[in-house]
Amino acid sequence: MIIDTQIASLFTAVAMIVIGIFAAAFLDNLIKKVIGLAFIGDGVNLFLISMGYKAGGIVYIYLPGMASEWFSQNASYPLPFAMVLTSIVIGASTMAVMLGIIIVLYKKHGSIKASKILGE
Amino acid sequence: MNPLIPLMVIVPIICALFLNLLHKKDRTIKIIAIILALILPALPILANYGLHYFGGYAPLIENPSLGTDLPSLITGTALNTFHPAITYSFQSAQKLFVFILGLVGLLAVFTSLFETRRPSGVYGYMMFMGIAAITAVLLTDDIFNLYVFFEIAALATVGIVLVSNIKGNYETALKYMILGGIAAPMLLLGVALLLGVTGNVNITDIIYSLKNGLVNPQSPVLLMACGLIVFGWLYGSGLPPFHTIKSAVYSKALPSGAALIQAFSVFTFIALGVIILRIFSYLPFSQWVILGVSLLAMILGITMAILQTDLRRMIGFLAVGELGYIGIGLGLGTVFGITAGLFQAVNEVVITAFLFIGFGTVLYQTGISDTRKLGGMMVRNPKVALLVLLAGFAMAGVPPLNAFQSKLMLIQASINAGLPELGVIMILLSIVTFMTFMKAFHAVFLRPKPADLEIKNENIPKATIIALLVFLVVCIVFGLFPQVVTSYLQPLATNLGGVV
Repeated sequence: MIIDTQIASLFTAVAMIVIGIFAAAFLDNLIKKVIGLAFIGDGVNLFLISMGYKAGGIVYIYLPGMASEWFSQNASYPLPFAMVLTSIVIGASTMAVMLGIIIVLYKKHGSIKASKILGE
Repeated sequence: MNPLIPLMVIVPIICALFLNLLHKKDRTIKIIAIILALILPALPILANYGLHYFGGYAPLIENPSLGTDLPSLITGTALNTFHPAITYSFQSAQKLFVFILGLVGLLAVFTSLFETRRPSGVYGYMMFMGIAAITAVLLTDDIFNLYVFFEIAALATVGIVLVSNIKGNYETALKYMILGGIAAPMLLLGVALLLGVTGNVNITDIIYSLKNGLVNPQSPVLLMACGLIVFGWLYGSGLPPFHTIKSAVYSKALPSGAALIQAFSVFTFIALGVIILRIFSYLPFSQWVILGVSLLAMILGITMAILQTDLRRMIGFLAVGELGYIGIGLGLGTVFGITAGLFQAVNEVVITAFLFIGFGTVLYQTGISDTRKLGGMMVRNPKVALLVLLAGFAMAGVPPLNAFQSKLMLIQASINAGLPELGVIMILLSIVTFMTFMKAFHAVFLRPKPADLEIKNENIPKATIIALLVFLVVCIVFGLFPQVVTSYLQPLATNLGGVV
């Protein structure tokens, strides 16, 4: 049986979020923690994209000659895609700040172990 | 459309960018920051109430000419009433909140500029950016837009901590970001689920869909969305289990920065709390969740404050405890209770900023915030000591200061709602707040000065004294004339009380 694209995306997204939470919570290496957080963010982004998926739908670009009624019934939902774009930018800037802080902490402590730096 | 509504967000962003560009040009930074900070509280006073549609796209029902070429699938259904653009709503409650945020921002900027010899453009950037983000959080009717600015506010908070250059600030900032790296995506996931169920991110439209049977309100997906948004709310406002990291963040910022960060927390608490009430009030347990979390915050925050020996950490925990009072008002769900809760929020922002900047004078003079190493400050600055004492009285709810009125209203509201136990707990915790404050006040001001305590700066800047006096005036005016504030909050409370 072929799994529906949307369901498959949702499952993948959930798996990414779970893996990310595990990494962020249980791994001692700060870089791995940040990778875990990136997984969570990307998982949520994938989840959002899946919300806009329309089976058999078309890209939401209104071309000359298209009937507006037909377009509105067949185009995928554009809002989640616009949201994901913003979310990616936020995620990238957050990660840049986190990595910057880790660089400073590495210079200070000589380690990137959370147990040593953050006292966990 | 009122152009001043978006300007409330745009002006601080432009200020922030200017200050960042002018970094190291001390005199220019000072002048520009003061002029632009003065605009912050002025804008909400000048702006008229109304809605602002970004791009000018009003709902089709309000502007039918836009829909002439659109298919009937859009014009002939409920989509006609939906908001196609990001919408900002500016009503009386927002007017008051943005004004108070602007006032605290102005005084925080003013204090910081005169307490440092070389004003930092980056520090100013972070402060203004945070103010812009929280203003947007208060104004927006779009839950995704709220998430975006929620994240910007978190980044600005981290920035303020990093620029404050206090020992251990990087470690605290990273901890805060790691927790935020989990909590903020959870908030976004909640937004995604709402979008999945209702097809919308505009809060008014989501409520329309729920009320008019366009979606099933009993859907378990909505329940999960509620849980995830509540999780983001807990993080953003520093409620348990995030109270420890939030108070650590306060303690690693300069007093002016901490005063501003706590204002961010309170307004995030209010903005998301109101949204949770607006969207999910039909869920029977939503009020109980808010009440439970608030009670926990109150008890944990205030009891943990007693144990602190660091002044900023103590005020941080007291601020978390005071958030609980606001939550109790919201959770009661009555018009009177919500008005009291919102009034308490306004008071808390002012009083906590008053305390942070007041105790900040001690930090400025000695460089120490550990109460065990301090003492004898009353002799040096009796006027400042009196101002700090009054700030503490205000927080504990001593009449005729402002928190007395809001706490009295909260106690009355809990009795009216049939929950007098909450009133008793609030009274007891106010007493504990007073004890905690007096313990710190005694240690810093009344106890003899330790022999090894070195005074680094003899004179406190006049700007700081002026800021403290302004806070005191606000506390007294709001305490003597509470109707001035509650009249602004009543319409929002009536709307919320009607749906709960």
